[in-house]
Amino acid sequence: MKKFLTKSFAWFGYLAVLLLLPQFFDSILAVSLFNQMAIAIVFALSYNMLLGQGGMLSFGHAVYFGLGGFLAVHALLLIEFETVYFSIVYIPLLAGLVGLLAALFIGSFSTRKAGTVFAMISLGIGELLAASSLIFVSFFGGEAGVSGDRTYGPPLFGVEFFQGIEIYYLAAAWVFVATLFMYLFTQTPAGRMANAVRDNPERAEFIGYSARRVRYISFCASGFFAGIAGGLYALNYEFVTEETLNAVTSGRVLLMAYIGGLGYFIGPILGAVILTLMNSLLSNYTDLWMLYLGILFLLTVLFLPKGFAGFIMMHRVAWLQRRIGKLVLPYLATGIPAMLFMATCVLMLELSHLEDESLSVLSIDLSASSPFTWIGLLLIATISMLVTRRTLPALREAWEFANHMTDEPESKS
Amino acid sequence: MSILTLNNVHKRFGETPIIRGVNLSIEEGERHAIIGPNGAGKSTLFHLISGKYPVTEGTISLRGQAIQNLPPYEIARRGLARSFQVTNIFPRLSVFENIRCGLLWKMGYGYSFWNLLGRQHDLNTAARGILDQIGLSQRADYPAGELAYAQQRALELGIAIASGAEVIMLDEPVAGMSHSEAENAVALIRRVTEGKTLIMVEHDMSIVFDIADRISVLVYGELIACDTPSNIRNSEKVQEAYLGTVTADE
Ligand SMILES: Nc1ncnc2c1ncn2[C@@H]1O[C@H](COP(=O)(O)OP(=O)(O)O)[C@@H](O)[C@H]1O
Ligand SMILES: [Mg+2]
Repeated sequence: MKKFLTKSFAWFGYLAVLLLLPQFFDSILAVSLFNQMAIAIVFALSYNMLLGQGGMLSFGHAVYFGLGGFLAVHALLLIEFETVYFSIVYIPLLAGLVGLLAALFIGSFSTRKAGTVFAMISLGIGELLAASSLIFVSFFGGEAGVSGDRTYGPPLFGVEFFQGIEIYYLAAAWVFVATLFMYLFTQTPAGRMANAVRDNPERAEFIGYSARRVRYISFCASGFFAGIAGGLYALNYEFVTEETLNAVTSGRVLLMAYIGGLGYFIGPILGAVILTLMNSLLSNYTDLWMLYLGILFLLTVLFLPKGFAGFIMMHRVAWLQRRIGKLVLPYLATGIPAMLFMATCVLMLELSHLEDESLSVLSIDLSASSPFTWIGLLLIATISMLVTRRTLPALREAWEFANHMTDEPESKS
Repeated sequence: MSILTLNNVHKRFGETPIIRGVNLSIEEGERHAIIGPNGAGKSTLFHLISGKYPVTEGTISLRGQAIQNLPPYEIARRGLARSFQVTNIFPRLSVFENIRCGLLWKMGYGYSFWNLLGRQHDLNTAARGILDQIGLSQRADYPAGELAYAQQRALELGIAIASGAEVIMLDEPVAGMSHSEAENAVALIRRVTEGKTLIMVEHDMSIVFDIADRISVLVYGELIACDTPSNIRNSEKVQEAYLGTVTADE
């Protein structure tokens, strides 16, 4: 019962955040950012049905996203030319069905094995479709893509979807429903057996389940939700190109799920939020943002193999033991010099790549051509790194202390 | 009536014959031990019966229905469950989830994605019951991969019996355990396989002679004897081929 209440509370919180966000940040830029996040959340969660839940590493998940997107744009065009007439709020569902259809077909041969075979097939299909999309111009629009207009459909309660904020609320509703259903899927026999097959496909067969059929079901569900995400994308941008179904998009969703944390349901949500933020904010300030993204991914793989969600969950024991407070100071002591180190590195990267030779930071003008700048920055970097290393043992000790079990572990339920 | 019958079963890996014409008939409710030196093909025989490998030649029938070359899940659904010589569980799932997965097919859930596991009262009660039986209730929420070895073996057994299968096959269920652990495990095996047909590969002769109604001796892929424990003990052929070497080793 208590568990049920906590869970309901979490879902209400999620809904509240989705609905209230644009009340606090209502600039056009913010709303467009939220739209991107909403799309990314559904897409990343659908990806994790494959990788995190089902143990299938896909390099071609954009296929389902992109197909959903293209179908959605064509649906907009059909509405515009009055071939059909229905509210655009249903378009994500149609897009999802296209994703499902594609997954039903592709999954029928790609889910035979997980592992390398599956990964290679997904890569191949991705390339194949990206290439065909440039060939079959009438449906995919070639290099230029296809664009539509979302405002021709019948208004819903007077809403005509002229504005980003209206699309955001539509997207938020879809995100909530899709998240809920993807979560519920993890709580069903098919969802649980997907975890079992991920862990040990051989054993699953000896308890009555065809590993292939189990994978196939997850695969289809995943394609469905990826299609919904693609539909939301099309409604938001009213414009879909080959990029939505090529390897770049497939790679990005992998990064989101991985950085967020594959082992936790909320991991991909975190990853989607973090990467969308980086993608749109950072790219305004620096051309190097792809490099930073790569570094972030590398650091995650090396130091946080369970992603950000895993990092947060690492603190459960300390929290339960009421010793989390003991970690604050050591975290600050290590975190501040570590941040300084990273900031200095970023500065050096930016300086070395600068065009107009100088950069103003905290109202200090740094000149890339002056040796003093470089000596100074190197000095700061070295010192902050040394300080970080000096403080590490204390952090480790505090960590041991906070996680040391004094009592018998409580039952986790 | 015999519940499991092997008829002239052969298995070759490439050119190498590993199982060479095994005939075996196991009665319903029987406790049957298979013994034999390392590399004799005992595990391979288990793999053939449970569908992990296809047979090269011969037939296997469960309750009169041919099951050779069916995929493992088809055979499992017909009421044959097994454990593995090397622990074979779902390491990242909790102990409770491991057992619950073992129950799913038997309880008719199939590939359902419209039932919520948490709401299935009978299913969850059954899972807890099995955890009680195998003595892992305290560990219900632990990831299975973090259990101690003997506990993992108990879980392995629990997954096998969860399916409610009539025929239980255990491949060296107590190998690698300390003496007292093995004793507990044997008592557990006895308890949970009550009224079922048990086929077991085991090296420890005292356990075999204690548990089994009949013993088959497999040497180089051939059954050289299949008889009651006392007859096996007194058989010169078996002494020569197998028991002698074991006593000499020990
Ligand atoms: N997949 C396989 N491919 C080739 N040879 C195998 C395979 N599995 C088992 N063998 C061989 O079959 C023989 C019997 O192995 P096994 O059945 O594991 O013996 P036991 O369980 O009686 O110790 C061994 O010589 C082993 O090397
Ligand atoms: Mg063996």
